[in-house]
Amino acid sequence: MKMTKSKFGIGKAALFLLPLLAGLSGCREMFDLPEEKDYLGKNLNYSDMVLEPILGRTTVMGGFNADGSTMPLTFEIVNARYGDGRPVTDLFQVRPTWVWTAAYDGLETSLEEINAKRKLEDRPLFEIRPSGEFVLWGSSSNELIEPRAADSSRLTQEIRYFDVKISNTGGDTIIRDFQIIPWRERPYEPSNDMNYYTGEVARDPNDPRNPFKRDYILPFMQGDIIGAQSNRRFVNNEQTKDLVAYIRPFEGGNGNKLRFRFIGPDSANINPALFNETKWDRLVHGFNMEMTEDYVQYDVAYPIPLVNIQTHYTQGNSAHVEFIYSRGAFGGGRSSGAFGLNFRIFKEGDWEIVFHFRNELPKFEDE
Amino acid sequence: MKRLLLLLAILSSSAASMELMAQSGQVVVSGTVVDNQDRLGLPGVTVSVGSPERALMATDANGQFTVRVESGATLHFHLIGFISRSVKLRPGQTSIEVVLNADDNQLEEVVVRGYVSRSKEETTGSSFTINADEIRDNPVASVESLLQGKVPGLNIQVNTGAPGFRGSTQVRGLSTLAVSGTGSESFLQPTSPLYVIDGVPMDADKASEFGFQQQGPGISPLSMIPQEDIESIEVLKDAQATSLYGSRAAYGVIIITTKRGNSKIPRVRYTSNFFMKTPPKLRETLGGNAERRLKINQILQNTLTREDIERISRTPFLADSLNAYYNNSTDWQDIFYQTTYNQTHNLAIDGGDPKFNYKANLGYYGETGIIKNTGFERYNLSMNMEFKPTEKLRFFGSMYGSIGKQKKGDGVGLLQKGVAENGQSSTLLPGPSFFQASSGVISALRTMNDNSARNLRANLDARYMLIEGLNVSSNISYDFTANLEDTFTPAAANQQFAKVYAFAGREFTLYNRNSVTYSKDFNEDHNIFVNVFNEFYKQGTQNRVTRQERSPEDQIQGPWGYDAYFSRGGGVLSNFRDARLASFAGAVSYNFRKKYVVDLSYRMDGSSGSGSENPYSRNPAVGVRWNFHRENLFENSEWLSNGALRLTWGKNIVPSRSLDALYGRYNLVGNYNNNPGILIDFDKLPNPYLKPTTTEQYNFGFDAGFFNNRFEVIFDAYYKEVQNLEMEKFLANSTGFNKFYSNDGGIANYGYELYLSARPLSPNSPVNWTISVNGAVNKDVLISLPPEFNGQAIHWDDSWAKQHTLFRVGSNTLSNYLRTNQGVYATDEDVPVDPATGLRYRTNGRFFEGGDPILKDVNQDYILDSRDYEMSGNSQPRVTGGIATMLNYKGFGLNVYASFTLKRTILNNALADRFRLMGDPFGNKAVVPLDGLDMWRQPGDIAKYPYAYDYSRYEQIDPFRLDQTLWAEEGSYLKINQVTLSYMFTKKVVHRIGLSNLRIYFSTDNLVTFSPYSGPNPENVTSMGRDASGGYPVPRTYTLGLNLEL
Repeated sequence: MKMTKSKFGIGKAALFLLPLLAGLSGCREMFDLPEEKDYLGKNLNYSDMVLEPILGRTTVMGGFNADGSTMPLTFEIVNARYGDGRPVTDLFQVRPTWVWTAAYDGLETSLEEINAKRKLEDRPLFEIRPSGEFVLWGSSSNELIEPRAADSSRLTQEIRYFDVKISNTGGDTIIRDFQIIPWRERPYEPSNDMNYYTGEVARDPNDPRNPFKRDYILPFMQGDIIGAQSNRRFVNNEQTKDLVAYIRPFEGGNGNKLRFRFIGPDSANINPALFNETKWDRLVHGFNMEMTEDYVQYDVAYPIPLVNIQTHYTQGNSAHVEFIYSRGAFGGGRSSGAFGLNFRIFKEGDWEIVFHFRNELPKFEDE
Repeated sequence: MKRLLLLLAILSSSAASMELMAQSGQVVVSGTVVDNQDRLGLPGVTVSVGSPERALMATDANGQFTVRVESGATLHFHLIGFISRSVKLRPGQTSIEVVLNADDNQLEEVVVRGYVSRSKEETTGSSFTINADEIRDNPVASVESLLQGKVPGLNIQVNTGAPGFRGSTQVRGLSTLAVSGTGSESFLQPTSPLYVIDGVPMDADKASEFGFQQQGPGISPLSMIPQEDIESIEVLKDAQATSLYGSRAAYGVIIITTKRGNSKIPRVRYTSNFFMKTPPKLRETLGGNAERRLKINQILQNTLTREDIERISRTPFLADSLNAYYNNSTDWQDIFYQTTYNQTHNLAIDGGDPKFNYKANLGYYGETGIIKNTGFERYNLSMNMEFKPTEKLRFFGSMYGSIGKQKKGDGVGLLQKGVAENGQSSTLLPGPSFFQASSGVISALRTMNDNSARNLRANLDARYMLIEGLNVSSNISYDFTANLEDTFTPAAANQQFAKVYAFAGREFTLYNRNSVTYSKDFNEDHNIFVNVFNEFYKQGTQNRVTRQERSPEDQIQGPWGYDAYFSRGGGVLSNFRDARLASFAGAVSYNFRKKYVVDLSYRMDGSSGSGSENPYSRNPAVGVRWNFHRENLFENSEWLSNGALRLTWGKNIVPSRSLDALYGRYNLVGNYNNNPGILIDFDKLPNPYLKPTTTEQYNFGFDAGFFNNRFEVIFDAYYKEVQNLEMEKFLANSTGFNKFYSNDGGIANYGYELYLSARPLSPNSPVNWTISVNGAVNKDVLISLPPEFNGQAIHWDDSWAKQHTLFRVGSNTLSNYLRTNQGVYATDEDVPVDPATGLRYRTNGRFFEGGDPILKDVNQDYILDSRDYEMSGNSQPRVTGGIATMLNYKGFGLNVYASFTLKRTILNNALADRFRLMGDPFGNKAVVPLDGLDMWRQPGDIAKYPYAYDYSRYEQIDPFRLDQTLWAEEGSYLKINQVTLSYMFTKKVVHRIGLSNLRIYFSTDNLVTFSPYSGPNPENVTSMGRDASGGYPVPRTYTLGLNLEL
């Protein structure tokens, strides 16, 4: 009898424990606690709302301030339109462009090795990447995207506007009215010999109204470079430009050549071998050097330089070439001179860099 | 005496005796009643016989009795606090020893609610009681640390070994968002419970207002109470239990009751401990030539420039190995750390009866710190007496005086940065000697730091019963503490000029309480109890500091005079206080046959610290209880001894503490037109509309005892919501002010507490074994922030450590905001490349390489910068609890207490500091062996830790930066707190040497910690979970002690 009573009691006790068990499960719901969600800042912004990239160059822009928002954020360019409401589509054309997959270090020994570190990928010419930065790819060109007006006018109806939608699980927000006003292509640097609005040859800054005078790219010169007849030391300044350079495409290459040519006042080629102390094999990160009496050329990978890092071939963010020669000086010593150029070339193709001694040939003979 | 008692007993039961005598077969039975724990004689046990029972007599002071009963009768033994026992005498038996088991049934305990003792069965709140037995045999400065792991829901972390300081204490989770300080010194505002000592409230957080930037002695008020003088400690957890303690009880209440006189014969009890404290395992260091070789190899193998190789020869301490000055192998840590031998003595005298009793306790505690030049000493004398001239009138008075003396060396107590810094010195340098020592060593070892806290407390309580059930009482107490600190830094330690710092502080509390209680039974069924009281406080604090940056010489330590340049600091510190508090409270409790209990209470506090908009804090509470074991169903149940369900609700509304947040701060700002200008402080815009901080708590409880309470369960589930916490908001500068306080912060804590205890062996077994387990799961959730924060706030750590704290609504309250470490780059090729620019992932202008940490590029821009932080971890423990087992066999006892903390993130900054020692091979820091660590050594290695030897990478890549999750480790641990082996000598032996009791014991404290944590001690971390290498390590203690009674 006692046993049964006790059993009954235990059964009853189990009933008391029921609410306990109920309490153990699902407290969060019971207390109506807020769900954890991503944080989306209230002060999301960009430092650059007007983007003025140069076409033909891979450019990363933006300056996004996430205001502590929880990553990853999803970015989307929406409502791309001209100032008058016409939709903008040219920015988002898909073209193959070079995309890096491994780190270039300047020690590669062949074009193949360089190209193994990057690949051609179909990308919209202009896009926003997961970091919120905008990328204008090097595949963009004057033909694909109409650059700003050649007459330097900025008409609202011709400006491309767009908005950016930013979201995470905490919500979404739209930052409105970005402008993108691209500059036309400048396929190389220094580009001071080019008019940025029209793409034509730039006029002489000292005489801008004279259509017959032009601006030149000025190489650097060091040491003893003197005129063959005048014995005058060559100078480059506002008045006198003894040595100028042209960066221009040439015909007849295989599409990835870089050629250096040296010409005198008569436009006749100077034999590059005369620049006798030049380190030709380490001049540029190129391969298959070919030296003739007229020029020296390399197989290269464009753009030059490929990546903005310090290598044997760069100085600052530019490629650096230096041509050195020496000759016997008075008293039996040697006098040497050097000139060269810090340059960048963005567009793939066959390019030549021509050093033009405009006024006089340099002196190569010993004294 | 014995005879007198016997005589009394015989007289009192004379009628019964006469009757018995007349019957045949009467025997005189004599015997002893002892308790099961210590086998001590129990005085005052009622011995009765028959059914219905007739009391025959009570046992004497040694637990002995002699009764004349019928042969073969059944004797009953009753004593409050013990389980009653009945023994049937064998025919002819004339002597007997009876063992009474202590009654651990929490229900029959007496608890304190609103300064009034109540039976636990008739109260609805959630509380837990610890007895004196559970906090002995282990000498500690602060008795609080002995509660660790013993009370479910009370989270105590003994996170400093600094003598005289206390760790952190939290009841039921987190109650604050206030984080201050940076890096390893991040400091969470302590939210310790309110302590009530013999009816007088005391604030335990007093010494910690300035975080780690402590001023003054910083002796915890809890370190001033000798553990031997404590009778019991009760921890009140839910809002119903704490409601009558008012605004300061929002973080729980701990009630400490000291011992009372309780012996007809005066008793002298003496406790002494001899204890050894040993430093924990210190950092391994490579010594002497090993250090030199490692540094030189490190340079040769990792240099990027020729200059560094040449620099070796220009660094004599690397190159000139034959120079005696550099040819050493000094163990610097050994210079600062030591094993110490200490002692405590406590003498207690008590005596008296319920009409008049007295107690005096004299104690000494001395502890020399394991860091040299630190230590703590305490002297105290306390007395109390109770006097009941008539049944109606009762007086209780107590006096309590103590002196705590402390030495902090050149640190601030909790942190010993000087020692940590110097302990890292290169072993090649010569150690301190008669002729030379570095200023750091002198500073650590010769700084004369002498500080003391002198506390005097007097308390008088009078009670008068007007009519049956109606009591009026009044209590007045005065508590005064003088804090002094003198620090003298000798010239050699301070760039050839001695330095003096002096601190003088006073604080007092005058307290008065008047109460009326009424209790009445109606027809034995309905019981009503009313308690109405008021309280008044007058409190004052004033601390002054003087600092003389240069004094004339070491021999002149004062008077100092004044110098316009070198007298710095000084004046009254900002914690000046002159406050008044007036409170009114009332409680009504009703029960029906003790079966159904309802509690209602309300309290109002008016404080001079509250603004005029919200002057009162209010504390309503409701509780119900159902003692289901009293239902008819269980009336004769054999298995259920007691059982109850409790449900309570309470609210605690506290006005914002700081007056300057409400009204602004006004400063003197120089003269204009010869009139002093007084302008508001433009840092903070006052906000008189700050809402009061509100804590609301629900508690559901279940208590049960089975099989005569051999098995017990206490379960509590609670939900606690803290609303209107202060948050700083920054203002647009056009307002003219910098920031202002809003109070839209809110935290919810919910959790479960479980306590299980069992006595698995039969009550008749000679072995008495009790085992108990308790645990608490607490989850804190941040529920609100000011609306414009949009659910997230970041406490930026602007030191170099950059260990930020993130508050995000919906997640755990205090998360770390760090860079996510995903391993180590095995090779250079593993570093991601920006597809657009072709640049490798980089930081500070330098590309990552093989051997560098993989720090997640959170925003995917291929640059590691200030935007790449992510939320991770939880600095607050999720689960805390403890295990205790007590084993007794004859005179032997073995007690083991363990505690555990689970699910908590610790940032192992100490390990980071160890790696960082490798950052400068030319510097004069020690180097550590890295052999055992999973570190990247060559390309292709998959490792946990980045490459430490490439010193050139420390500048930009900073592979061992503190703000990464590499240091975030699981901080769970199981600690064996205390193991005690004791022996109680038998009466025979003891009496022979003229004592009445003698017990000796050996115990250890902090014996061993089991943890997956890679650092030395997962508990020795700050309340924000940072393991600072500058912290004070927690020593291990070995104690030999004795209790004797005359």
